[in-house]
Amino acid sequence: MMQRFFLLVAASGLPLLLGSCVEKEISFNFNFGGAPATTAATSVVRVHATNQGYNFVRPWEKLEATRRSGLGPLVEGGRVLVTAELVVDHTYIELELPDTGEKTPAKVVGLDYEANLAMLEPVDDQKKAAFFSRMKPLELDSSAVPGDRLEVWQLEDNGTPASTDGTVIQVGVGRYFVDGSFFLNYVLRGSLQYRTSSFTLPVIKEGRLAGLLLSYDSKEQTSDVLPAPIIAHFLEDLADGNYAGFPNLGLSYAPTLDEQLRKYVKLDGLEGGIYVRRVSRDGAAQQAGIQAGDILLEIDGHPIDARGNYDHPKYGKLNFSHLVRGDAQVGQKVPVKVHRADQEITLSLELTRKPPTAYHIDPYMFDRGPRFKILGGLIFQELTLPYLKAWGDQWANRAPFKLVHAHANQELLEEEQGGKLVILSAVVLTPATVGYEQIGNIQVTKVNGQDIRSIKDLGAAFAKPENGIHKIEFDDFPKVIYLDARMAEAVNAQFGPRLGIKSLERLD
Amino acid sequence: MMIPKLNLAFRVMAALLAGSALAPAQLAPVPVAPVPAPAPPAPPQAAAPAPADGEAIFAAIVRVENQSWEPNYRVPWNSGGTGGGVGTGFLIAPNRFLTNAHVVSDSRLLYVKKVDDPKPYEAEIVHIAHDCDLALLALKDPSAFENVRPLRLGGVPLLNSTVIAVGYPIGGQRISVTRGVVSRIDFQSFAHSGVDFHLAIQVDAAINPGNSGGPVIQEGMVVGVAFQGYSGDVAQSTGFMIPVPVIHRFLEDVSDGTYDHYPDLAISHFNLQNPAQRKALNLPNDGIGVMVASADSAGSAGGLLQTGDIIVAMDGFPVSSDGFVNMLGSRVNMNEIVERKYVGDVVKLKVIRQGKAMDLEITLKRFLPYLIQANQYDQKPQYVVFAGLLFQPVDRNMMAAHGVNNLNVRYLFNFYSQDEVYKDRPQIVVLTDILPDEINTHFDLFRHQAVDEINGRKIRTLEDVHKALGNPQPEGGFHVIRFLGEGRPMVIEASRVAAANQRVAEKYNVSEDHRFGGSVMAP
Repeated sequence: MMQRFFLLVAASGLPLLLGSCVEKEISFNFNFGGAPATTAATSVVRVHATNQGYNFVRPWEKLEATRRSGLGPLVEGGRVLVTAELVVDHTYIELELPDTGEKTPAKVVGLDYEANLAMLEPVDDQKKAAFFSRMKPLELDSSAVPGDRLEVWQLEDNGTPASTDGTVIQVGVGRYFVDGSFFLNYVLRGSLQYRTSSFTLPVIKEGRLAGLLLSYDSKEQTSDVLPAPIIAHFLEDLADGNYAGFPNLGLSYAPTLDEQLRKYVKLDGLEGGIYVRRVSRDGAAQQAGIQAGDILLEIDGHPIDARGNYDHPKYGKLNFSHLVRGDAQVGQKVPVKVHRADQEITLSLELTRKPPTAYHIDPYMFDRGPRFKILGGLIFQELTLPYLKAWGDQWANRAPFKLVHAHANQELLEEEQGGKLVILSAVVLTPATVGYEQIGNIQVTKVNGQDIRSIKDLGAAFAKPENGIHKIEFDDFPKVIYLDARMAEAVNAQFGPRLGIKSLERLD
Repeated sequence: MMIPKLNLAFRVMAALLAGSALAPAQLAPVPVAPVPAPAPPAPPQAAAPAPADGEAIFAAIVRVENQSWEPNYRVPWNSGGTGGGVGTGFLIAPNRFLTNAHVVSDSRLLYVKKVDDPKPYEAEIVHIAHDCDLALLALKDPSAFENVRPLRLGGVPLLNSTVIAVGYPIGGQRISVTRGVVSRIDFQSFAHSGVDFHLAIQVDAAINPGNSGGPVIQEGMVVGVAFQGYSGDVAQSTGFMIPVPVIHRFLEDVSDGTYDHYPDLAISHFNLQNPAQRKALNLPNDGIGVMVASADSAGSAGGLLQTGDIIVAMDGFPVSSDGFVNMLGSRVNMNEIVERKYVGDVVKLKVIRQGKAMDLEITLKRFLPYLIQANQYDQKPQYVVFAGLLFQPVDRNMMAAHGVNNLNVRYLFNFYSQDEVYKDRPQIVVLTDILPDEINTHFDLFRHQAVDEINGRKIRTLEDVHKALGNPQPEGGFHVIRFLGEGRPMVIEASRVAAANQRVAEKYNVSEDHRFGGSVMAP
C-alpha cells in the first residue's frame, strides 16, 4: 500500500528529469546516521493524508478516497511543512510522532499548488505545544549548490531514523506538480531505499532543511528536490498573513540563437536577448508595456542570454523565470530592458499573479468541485483542464477535439469572449431531453438569447424562458435545442433523489 | 454521399461502440486489398471444366493484374515505389470490364487474363470512380473476348437469398467460387476513399483479398461487385458488395463519356423528436420534419437552406422526424433520394422557415471540400522545397505520411468543410520537413506548423508560397514567414537563398523544387 504512494510521487514527478518510475531495483547503500539521525527523530513527523478529488465527468460526485503518507519537517511556530501534492483534495490529515506513534488531527494553514507547498498545524491549538514538546524545529538552509552533499531523511517502521547521502548534481528550473508551473529544483544523485511514509521526505544540509524530496528515479538513481529558496519564498509570503503566491509574467518567448532572426530584429552587435512570442492579456508583461516581437535583454540588471538564461551567482546558467517567479514577490517592481525597433527601452515591470480561476479554462482545480448545473437531464459545466484530463494520459488525442483545440488556443478565446467556456457536457435521457441523448461536449453560446460566459450566467438565463420554453444555442452541431421549462423543473425534482444527487448545481 | 453530412446518429453510434473492446478504427471495413504481386505464373494447365451452369459466366470473369505506382509523400520529388496486385473483373458490355477502383488505382500498367488462357491482355482504364469504388476497363485489343457474352445485371437480392462470389482470391491462378446468403442491406462507409457512404450489401459468402472487383451472382445475373470486408479480428463472415443501384448509377453517369461524381446536399440536420423543440418551432406533433443545423456554403444548398429551417418533404416524400423517408416500400435515409441523382439534377424541398412554408429547388453539385479527408489516388504529391524547407498542402495522404500532430493543423484538416476553412485557405500549407542546411538550422520549432503569411501576403495555396518566396528581393532583404498561432516569425536572408537551394538540391537529390496540382476545391 505504502509503496504505491511512493511510486505515485515518481509518476507525477518531473518529466524533464525523470526517465521512469519503475518499482523494481531499489538499491541499498544507505547509512544509519549518527548525529543527524538524532535530529531526524526529533524534527520530523509522519503526515497521513486522506485525499478525495472530485469527479470532473460526473461533477456532483467525488472519486474514491485514497491515502498518502510522507515525512514533514517541523518548522518554527509548531508547524509542519509538506508538499501540496501530499494533501491535495484532503478530507482528513493526521500528524504522527515517529517515536511514540502518538497522533493528532491537523489542518492546512498555508497552501500553494503551483509551488507545491503546504503548511500544516494541529487542529487543536491548545495541545499544539504539548504535542511537539519533545521536538525541535528545523531551520531553513538555502545555501546548497551543485557538488554539495545532502542527506535524505527517512524513518524505519519502528521510528528509528535513517539517513541517505546524495550529491547535488544540478540546480535548474523544472516542471512542478501543476501544469505550467516551473520553479527552481535540485537534482540529487544517490540511491534511496524504499520506506513507508515516503510521499515527501525532508532533505537536509548540516542539520538544516535544504528541501523536500519529490520523486526518485530508481533507474537513474536521482531525486528531484523542491529547494529551500522556494520554501523560503513560501514562508516569507505566508508570514504576513496575506498569502499572495508566486508571480507570473504572462509571456511566452523563443530563443534568439538564430543569426538571421538577430539580423532581422537588428540585434547584431548586441548579445543575448529572447524573442517575445506572445503576451497574455492583462498579465504583468502586458501591463508593463512589453509587446510581442520585443527582445527582452535584461531583467533587474541581469542580462538574459539568447537561450533565456542568466548568470546566477550560485547556480550558474539559470532560466530567467526564476528572476520573476521563484525569486520575486507579487507587487515587486523590476526594471526590464527591451529592444524594440532598433531602440532600447527600459520598462518597469510590476509583478502580479494570475490565479487559476482567472483563466478562460481553469488549469487546475483542487479542494473544490467543478461548477455545474443540471436542468431536465442536460448537464452543463465550465470547461477545465482536469475535465479534459479525464480522458486519460492521451487526453490531447482522445478528448473531444474542439475542446482540446479551445484549450490550446485559450489566450485567443480569452481575448475574444472572456469569461469561462461553458459546455453541455452530457445529456441524460429524460422526458425533457428526448431526441438530445446523442449530443454533448459542445460549447453553449446563448441561453434564451443571453450570452453565456459562466455557469452563473446560465442560472440567470434559465430564469427567463419564452412561452415556457428554453432556447439553448451552441457553437456546433446541432446549433440549437429547446427545452420545456416546466417539464425540466419536474424532471429536476425527481433527478436528485433518483440518481442520489444532493445538489443539481454548483455555481460557485 | 459522403460521411460528414450523414445524419449524425451514425457517428455517434460509432462512438458508443468504441466503448466496447473494438476501437472505432477497427470497425471501419477495409477494402479487400488486391493481393500482393503474383508469384511467377504456374505452368499452364488445362482448365478444369467449370460447373455446367457456370461455364458461360466464368468465361466473362477475368483476373486483373495491376502494376502500380506508389507516390512518396515524404520524399515527394522522388518517383515513388512500385507495387502490384491482383483482383477480379468481369465483362459487362463489349470490351468493357467492371472492377473496383481500388483494384486499378495508381496504375502504371494493367493486364487482364481469361479463365483458361495464360496470355495477359493489356488493358486501360476508361472511367474510374473513387467515390463509389468502381472502374471500367477496356482492352487495347478486344479480339480475345469477341465471343464472350457479357454478364447481365440483376436487381437487389432478397435478404437470406443465396448468392455466389466468383473471383481470384488470395492470388490463385484458378477461379474460386464461394457461396452464401444476403445478410443485410444498408448504407456502408466505402473504405477506398474513406469518406464516402453508399448502399452496400453484406453477404456471408467468403470474400477475401483478390475477390475485389469480382461479380456476386444470383440466378446467372450479377447482383453486386465484391469490394470490402472486415479483418477477421473484428467480425467473421461479413463481406460486402456494391449493389446494382450503385453500379447502375455509375454506368449511367459515365454514359456521356465523363464521370461527374456523386452530388451532395452538404447539410447537417438534426432530428426533431423533442416535444419542446416541435412546440418552439410551431410544428404539429405529426412526426414529420428535421431541422437544418448547417448548410455548407460551398455545397448545393449553400445560401438556400439556413440553420433552423425545417425540411418536411424531399421530392414529395414526407421526411420523418428521424430523417427517413418511405420510398419504394421501404424506409430509407432521406439522403438516398439525393444518392440516386446526378450532378445538375434538381431536388425539391418543402421547407418551413420561421413558421412559413416554402418550396425550394436545389440544383445538385459535388461538395468538394470533403475531399481533403479522402484518400487520394492517381495523383503526384504537391510540394515546394525552399532553402531546405519542405512545404506541402494538407490532405489525408500527407497527414498520414508525416504523422502531423500539430493541433492547429489537425483543426484545419478536421474542420476544413464544417467550419468552411476553405474560404480563407483552399489549401492549408504545412512545413512538413526540413532538409538540414546551415540556412535552416534554427527552424526546428516550426516543423509541422501551418503557414499563415509570407512577406506580408496571406497564403491561400501552395502556389502562393512559391510565388511569394520566388521574389529574390523581398522587403529589407528578408523572407518573413509567419505560421499560424506562432508569434516568432521565420526569417530567411534572401541573399543566402540561391546558394542554399543549390546545396540542398545537390545534397538531397531534389530533382525539382516544386510540383503543383491545385486544391481539392478546384480539382
